[in-house]
Amino acid sequence: MFAVGIDIGSTASKAAVITEDGVIASKAIVPIGTGTVGPARVFAEALDRAGIARSDVKWITATGYGRFSFEGINDQKSELSCHAKGISHLLPQVRTIIDIGGQDIKVMRINEKGTLVNFVMNDKCAAGTGRFLDTMAKVLDVSVMDLSGLSQRAEEPAEISSTCTVFAESEVISKLAGNVKLENIVAGIHKSVAKRVASLVQRCGIEQQVAMSGGVALNKGLVHSLEEEIHSRIYVHEDCQLAGALGAALYAWDHLQPA
Amino acid sequence: MSDIKALLAQFDEISGNPRKMLGEYLANGEKVIGCFPVYTPQPLVTAAGLVPIGLWGGQVNPQVSGKYSPIFTCSILHSCLEYGMSGAYQGLSAALMPILCDTFRGTSAAWRAGVKDIPLIVFIHPQNRKDPGALDYMIEEYKSVKTALEKIAGKEITNRALANALTLYNKRNAAMREFCALANEHLDLITPVARHHVMKAVTFLKPEKAVEMVGELNKALKDQPVCKWTGKKVILTGITAEPDDLLVSFTENKVAVVGDDLAQESRQYRTDYPSANSALESLALQWLEIRGCSLAHDDNNTTRGKMLVELAERTGADGVVLCMMRFCDIEEYDQPYVIKMLQEAGLLAFSVDIDQSTTDSGQARTKIQAFAEN
Repeated sequence: MFAVGIDIGSTASKAAVITEDGVIASKAIVPIGTGTVGPARVFAEALDRAGIARSDVKWITATGYGRFSFEGINDQKSELSCHAKGISHLLPQVRTIIDIGGQDIKVMRINEKGTLVNFVMNDKCAAGTGRFLDTMAKVLDVSVMDLSGLSQRAEEPAEISSTCTVFAESEVISKLAGNVKLENIVAGIHKSVAKRVASLVQRCGIEQQVAMSGGVALNKGLVHSLEEEIHSRIYVHEDCQLAGALGAALYAWDHLQPA
Repeated sequence: MSDIKALLAQFDEISGNPRKMLGEYLANGEKVIGCFPVYTPQPLVTAAGLVPIGLWGGQVNPQVSGKYSPIFTCSILHSCLEYGMSGAYQGLSAALMPILCDTFRGTSAAWRAGVKDIPLIVFIHPQNRKDPGALDYMIEEYKSVKTALEKIAGKEITNRALANALTLYNKRNAAMREFCALANEHLDLITPVARHHVMKAVTFLKPEKAVEMVGELNKALKDQPVCKWTGKKVILTGITAEPDDLLVSFTENKVAVVGDDLAQESRQYRTDYPSANSALESLALQWLEIRGCSLAHDDNNTTRGKMLVELAERTGADGVVLCMMRFCDIEEYDQPYVIKMLQEAGLLAFSVDIDQSTTDSGQARTKIQAFAEN
């Protein structure tokens, strides 16, 4: 009897499988999200890694932007609740969570049970999101995976707007035309994202400890910039990108427990 | 029960088809005055024998208004201008516009440039409402509106006619407040969408018709057994809470709307016209008595927060949703104060983006679901 959580984001799909005893049996990430074959692939991959068949799965909980569109699920939960539950499981001391997703930024405050006590989330605007970083990487003709290393070699971050992706793109092109070092531009982009996220953190309020979830948390350069902006250490678990899927899997597991 | 469903269906129809209402008034030979949000002196319109109709824009992707209106114009004024320029408001004898914020000021110029067939009657509410001259100023502004309306109506607005209109609007306000109270006893019947449709439909109705229809609904609700709501409860605050998809998300997550502080809804009905030396003075005094509204300056920045906390206590609400009209700076400025006070009172408060240029409510849906889950 297994429980599965699947997090269908706008840019990636993640899944986690939990055994009857509450042990994580497998995890999988596919770098394409809702509206693609990503969700089906990540689900198959997670089952394959756990060495189980579809018939062994008793409950599937979906989360993420594409949570309504995946067939065969038993229920769905908001990504805010799932990230809260997932991070609370991975890092129990954490009370403030920052998640930079593909198209939104979430800041959550949780209690010792992993329940949300407050949250702030941006609305229809790409500034400061993972999509913003993707766009900037394309303009700079580098892989988004390389942004972290580049920014750590910067001497002085360039000044980049934090208000609008489109304006920021023009600014980056202008910096390139002005022969500003690539490393400094990338550090400026991280600073710009960090400022944007920090304003949401201020609105939500900080309670120690602070952690980041989601794939963007793997970008050490950005995490460092954000630490400077919010004046706090940020904890990043190695499974940060799976926090939403893990939270969903834990919700699914809860369903299988006797009342 | 069937009475209630039939009545609610009528409100749905009116709320979703203001153009049809305008057509019916015009076919009846009546002259109609468009009333921009909010605090337009509608009793003057009624007293002149004209029909006031609310202008709330709508879900539209602006195509022609960009000629005069920048993209960062607040969503509701952008869509109103779009409808004005594209002919959706054709037939109005004039539009009344209060200059309640900077965006109104710019939009008044844009309207005059882009909407040639609907004359604009502009007036200004004094924001320094404590100054002894504020009342005189408001009366003078309303006198200019009165003169413009008399020209359209072809008759004088007498003190008696205005006094009668004020009495009628106070009756309407009372009916709306009673509806809000009754709705909270019947949250199974009055869903967030149904509640909104009743509140919005009234802005398209003549006041006497509103009193009649809402009175009938209230009577029917009183005959129903009180519902014991087991889901969560929220209060909505802001300018508007639209589109319907947003409100459907509350129902899907078993969250009831038990109160509002929306400019399109309760803010219009909660301040009566007080007794005064003249009808015009009463009309003007109402503006000085408005509290807790982002559009009416208050030196005390805790007023709105306090009102919301009290409303939450009175209605048993678990949280407050700030419906942030896109690019509405005055609501944005209020947000930090209001959220702080709500959180200090132990209420969960979060904001959702209200944007009339798109029907996508995905992020709002996630926030509402998260609220319901925790």
